[in-house]
Amino acid sequence: MDFLLLLISAGLVSGAAYGMIAMGFALIYKATGVVNFAQGELVMLTAYVAFSIAGAVDLGFWSLLAVTVPIAMAIGLTLERIFIRPMLGEPAFAIVMVTIGLAVILRGVTIMIWGPDPLDFAAGLSREVITLGPIPFYPAQLYAIGCLAILVGLAYGFLRYTRVGIAMRAVAANETAALLMGVSVKRIHAVAWSLSSAIAAVAGILFAANFKLGPDMWFQGLRSFPALILGGLDSLIGAAIGGLIIGVVETLAQGYLGQGLREIAGFVVIVVILMVRPYGLFGARDIERV
Amino acid sequence: MRKIAAAGFAACLFAGPVLAADPGVTDTEIKIGDVNILTGPASFIGRAVSIGSKIAAAEINAAGGINGRKIVIATEDDGYVPSRSFQALKKLVESDGIFALSGTSGSANILAMLPLIEENKLPTVVTTTPNELVYTPVRPSVFTIGATYQDSFYAQVKYIHENVRQQNAVYGVIRQDDEFGAAVEGGYDKAVKEFKLKDGLRLRFKRGQTNFSAEVLQLRAAGVNALVNGGIIAGAANILSEARKLNMDLAVASVWSEDMPPSVKLSQPAGYPYILADYVALNDAATDTYVEKAKKYLSADEVGGINRYSYLSYVGLKVMAKAMEACGKELTRACTVSELRKIKNFDTSGLTAPISFDNEQQLSGRELKIYQLDPKAGTFKALVDFKRY
Repeated sequence: MDFLLLLISAGLVSGAAYGMIAMGFALIYKATGVVNFAQGELVMLTAYVAFSIAGAVDLGFWSLLAVTVPIAMAIGLTLERIFIRPMLGEPAFAIVMVTIGLAVILRGVTIMIWGPDPLDFAAGLSREVITLGPIPFYPAQLYAIGCLAILVGLAYGFLRYTRVGIAMRAVAANETAALLMGVSVKRIHAVAWSLSSAIAAVAGILFAANFKLGPDMWFQGLRSFPALILGGLDSLIGAAIGGLIIGVVETLAQGYLGQGLREIAGFVVIVVILMVRPYGLFGARDIERV
Repeated sequence: MRKIAAAGFAACLFAGPVLAADPGVTDTEIKIGDVNILTGPASFIGRAVSIGSKIAAAEINAAGGINGRKIVIATEDDGYVPSRSFQALKKLVESDGIFALSGTSGSANILAMLPLIEENKLPTVVTTTPNELVYTPVRPSVFTIGATYQDSFYAQVKYIHENVRQQNAVYGVIRQDDEFGAAVEGGYDKAVKEFKLKDGLRLRFKRGQTNFSAEVLQLRAAGVNALVNGGIIAGAANILSEARKLNMDLAVASVWSEDMPPSVKLSQPAGYPYILADYVALNDAATDTYVEKAKKYLSADEVGGINRYSYLSYVGLKVMAKAMEACGKELTRACTVSELRKIKNFDTSGLTAPISFDNEQQLSGRELKIYQLDPKAGTFKALVDFKRY
């Protein structure tokens, strides 16, 4: 029983990381209809930014987050303005290609600035093990699960109760109609990139605190893709839940079946789910996938 | 007209040896190739290899070169991707015209390059990845320095069995699912069979995996208390971090790359005094002397990048230079290979055991030294001196 509980807790921790990264993907997809293939690189870049801030100023986790998130949002806005805004009105495929190019640029820039060596980054968190019942956690692992819950709550509140959030849903439902109703689509796109970068920062800091900081962190973007597909491309909350499911399934598969099944378990789940619900667990029916 | 023809014929006769000479050699230079990992997460290895070659070349050139010819290093990046290694070597051979090869990247990378090395009969000294597949079967122009991963892990498990976990030991291995990982498990397997050890669990993982929570839980469930950790750099550190979280009492054997400062920094927080077996000296008089010597030729930044791979590439190029020197002015690849085969007890000033290639496998430096990490200080102490396993 302990073994099962330990596996589930480990799965929730890795699933929380997947979920946060997938939420960033879902937010941009919801607002712009485009999958941002540079999301993993944003996670990596913002984690490195936090690492530099932590190196310069001794900050606790929440203070570090408070400083990093606005910078991440500014990075998201800048990238949107430079790379995505000029592509407005172009075919989705062209915009996706731009995000792929952006991903390569961000990887190169990160290595140029911070170098290729992996780094230890505690992110202002203690490394004392906390035990909840029979289950030990590092604080960073609990923070990852907690932050995912907070992000889900904030996303729900934002999309349901704020003016910008409702406008974003309107753009997602029908961009032309939203435009005719006076919604600034450009502004919504910018907000989506900015908020997505903020989520990437939280995900990046906690991922680095749990699994080290390195220039190969961008790959977590691709690892989180099954969570996004499972939850539904345009559902933030679905992406978070999808992340947790994929994390737990992967860990259970490795724990009980072993020998590399972790790698394929997530994909088996999405194949099965998509056969039953092609738009994902929480996605809207009329999604055109890229 | 006859005189002109005769003069032309004579000129051709005299020019013959020059035209027939192997590529990469001029009256003033010898061009040595170096295929290396200069980009990506493992690039600190490649940078260190380049630094070692640079020191060796600078030292040789400062002493007048090889029979008056200066050594020039031509480096190509492969990003640790085997297909790129092949392309890089093809460029070095066909475009740059190298005479010999010194840097040879990772295990899968040198294996990808071997057909081209054989085809061109390139004198090659492999120092960074002494994988058994490199010298089995023996390639006439390829010489290898270093112990195998099998030997390294056999030595460590033997040490743990005899000195650390003499009773109630349950052994386990976690390793990459590639040639390197197979070599790690090979050493583990040999020790387990020879010493009749309790084999708790064997696990494989994909290269680049970061999360080992499930694997470490499996190891704990199997009662493993002596672990062969086949992870490298962040992977190795993440395995130890998960084990620490579960409060596992472990004796840990590690890959020799875990003696490098970036790896040590990542693993230190877990606090395990892991051991490793290396065919290169660490933290002793030989390496201190080397670093002092290196400062003459390197920037402060480059001196900071020195690690075990620098010592190895330095030794590799010095051995190659010794063979080339023995060929005199008529330097050819065939002669260099023949002289490399005669190398016996080449003194490396304590950086490795003395080098001898006068054996069937053209393999040397297999002696291993066993070290243990002090996780608080981040330094290693020697447990067993250079010894053949």
